[in-house]
Amino acid sequence: MLRSIHFQNRTTCAINSGGIVFTVEEASSTVAQAYLRTDLFAAFNFNNTIAKEQNQAQGIEPAADEENGEDGEDTVYVVLPLDILLDCLTLFYGPTSGASGGGSTQGLLSGGNPMDLRGATTAHVAFNGIGTDFELMLEERGVISVCRMATFVPESSVDLDFSGSPVIQQLIIRSEWLRDAFNELDPTSETVGISMAPQAPFFSISTTGDNGSTEMTYSKDERILDSFFCSEEQENRYKLAQILRCKHALSLSDKTKIRVNQRGFLSFQFMIPTDADVSFVNFLFAPQILSE
Amino acid sequence: MRFRAQVTNANLLLRVVQCIEKLSKNAMLKLTQDKLHIIVLTDMDSGLQLWSDVVAVALFSEYRVESLHNNEIYLEFNIENLQRALRSAQGAQRVTLKLTKKQNLPVLSLVIKNMSGTGREMTLNQDVPVRVLTPDQVSAIMEPQVPTGPVHIMMPPLNSVRSITERLKLMGDRVTIAANREGQVTMRVANDRVEITTYFRGLQNMTHESSAESLSQADRPSHEFYTATVDMKNFTRFLQSYHIAPKNIVCCILEHRALVFYVYIGSTSMFGDTGVDNLNDQTCGSLTYYIPVRQV
Repeated sequence: MLRSIHFQNRTTCAINSGGIVFTVEEASSTVAQAYLRTDLFAAFNFNNTIAKEQNQAQGIEPAADEENGEDGEDTVYVVLPLDILLDCLTLFYGPTSGASGGGSTQGLLSGGNPMDLRGATTAHVAFNGIGTDFELMLEERGVISVCRMATFVPESSVDLDFSGSPVIQQLIIRSEWLRDAFNELDPTSETVGISMAPQAPFFSISTTGDNGSTEMTYSKDERILDSFFCSEEQENRYKLAQILRCKHALSLSDKTKIRVNQRGFLSFQFMIPTDADVSFVNFLFAPQILSE
Repeated sequence: MRFRAQVTNANLLLRVVQCIEKLSKNAMLKLTQDKLHIIVLTDMDSGLQLWSDVVAVALFSEYRVESLHNNEIYLEFNIENLQRALRSAQGAQRVTLKLTKKQNLPVLSLVIKNMSGTGREMTLNQDVPVRVLTPDQVSAIMEPQVPTGPVHIMMPPLNSVRSITERLKLMGDRVTIAANREGQVTMRVANDRVEITTYFRGLQNMTHESSAESLSQADRPSHEFYTATVDMKNFTRFLQSYHIAPKNIVCCILEHRALVFYVYIGSTSMFGDTGVDNLNDQTCGSLTYYIPVRQV
C-alpha cells in the first residue's frame, strides 16, 4: 500500500489510536493518503498520554472528531523518508525484487507492533515522538535487522478541503473497468476530462492528444457501476500526469469510489482487500481552472 | 616450460573463473605440481586481493607441469577471455588444456572435442593469450601474511547475506562487519538519513590449534565484538563467490587491518555439508579474500 503513494519521497505520518495515515502531496494539487487501521496490525500500542504531552509542548491542538462529536484525540505527526522506508521494508526480499515486486505489502508503522509481511518477514515499529529516530525492526527466519531513520518535523500541509463543498457526483466502479480506461488514455494529452451527468452519457473520461481525441463512456449499468449519483452535470479537467499517479493503487484495488464536489475537486477512493477486511487509499486532485 | 592436462571438471573451473569475473580485467594463474592457483590483485595497496587454490585432481587428469623454476608456471591472462573459452567447453566430451605458442605468442589453448549427431568428431580450439611472468616478476607477488586473528566464525548462508547486502548497498559506500566468539555476526551500514544493522545468531565459531597464543592477545570477553569497516564495493566483490555455491565460509576479523574470508570449494560443490567438522573432508580448494580495512 505504501508503494501506491510513493510518488514523492517524504510522507507525513499521522499516528493515533485509530491507526496510521500516510499522506503524500505534490504541487499543492494532489494529495494521496493510505489508511492503516489498527486492526491490520497484530498489536498496536499508542500511548495517548505521552502524545498529548508532546503535542501540548508543541502547541498542537487535538483535532476535533467530527463523526463522534467528542473532543478529538491527540495525533502524533511525523515526516518520514518514504523511499528509505520502502527499501527497509523490502530488506529481505532478495536481489530480484525491484520496483515491481512486493505486491500487496502491508504497511507497518505505529508505536510498537509486530506485523506479518507476506508471511515471511515480521516488522516491529517504534516511534518515541518528535525529534527522535524512527525505528523499524524486521525479522525473518532468525535474522534481525534494525533500521533507524531520521525523521523530519512536519511542515504545514496543503488542505484541499474536499468535504468543504457538497458532493455533486459520486459513483462506485469495478476497478478492472477503470484500469482498462486508464490504459486507453492518450499519453500525449496534457489533461484528462472527467464528466458525469444525470442523463446519458452518464460517466465519461476523455483526452485530447497529438493524434486526436478519445472518449470513453460508461452507462449506468449495474454490471459496471455499483452505484451512481449525480445531482449536477459537470465536466472537469485534471492534469493527466497527476491522475496517473494512482495507477498502482488502482491495480491493487477491487473497487473504486469516485466523487466530485461542487468546486470540481476529484476524489478517488481505492478499496484494497487486505487481511483485515478492506483498506483504503485515497487520492484527491484539484481541477485545472480553464481561463475562458 | 610445459603444461598440459585433460580437463575433467570444466564446470567447476568455469565457476571459479565466474567468481573472479567482476574483480578485475586480468588475473594470474599459478600452476604447481599438485595445485592450480588463481590470484587477483585490485587497486594495488588499498584493494581487495583474492588468492585461491584448487587441487589439480579435482579439475584435471593427466596433469603435467614442467618448468625450469621449481616446476611452477606463472601466467597472466584476461579473465573475460578465459571465461568465454571455458563456456564453450561446457558439456564437451573431451577437453584438453595446454600451454602453447600461436604465431609466436604464448597462449593457453583449450581443445574441445565433441561428437556430433552424425557420429563425426568436431574439434573446437579456443586460444587465450597469456603473458608468462618472469622469476623477478614472480618474486614480487606474495600472499598477504595475516596473523591468526582473535575471532573466526562461520558466515551465515551466502544467499541471506547477498539479499540483505543488495538493499544495504543503496544506503552507504562502506559496511561494518562485526563478530564475537559467541556465534554472532552483525552487518551495519549508515548514511546521514538512516542506519541499518542486521544481526545473525547461532553461528559456529572456529578454534585453531594456534588459537591458544591468539587468545592471550585477545583480551576481550567472548560476547564482545571485533569490528572491521570495509568498502562496500569490496564486500560485494567477495559475494561474487556465490558462483561456486559454497557451503562453508569462514570470516576472520583483524581489527584495523583487514577482513579475511575463506570460501571453501566443495569437491562436489552442489552437495557439500555445512559445519566445521566436514570442512577438511569435503574441500578441494578455497578462495581467500583479503579485504583491507578502510582507513579514515
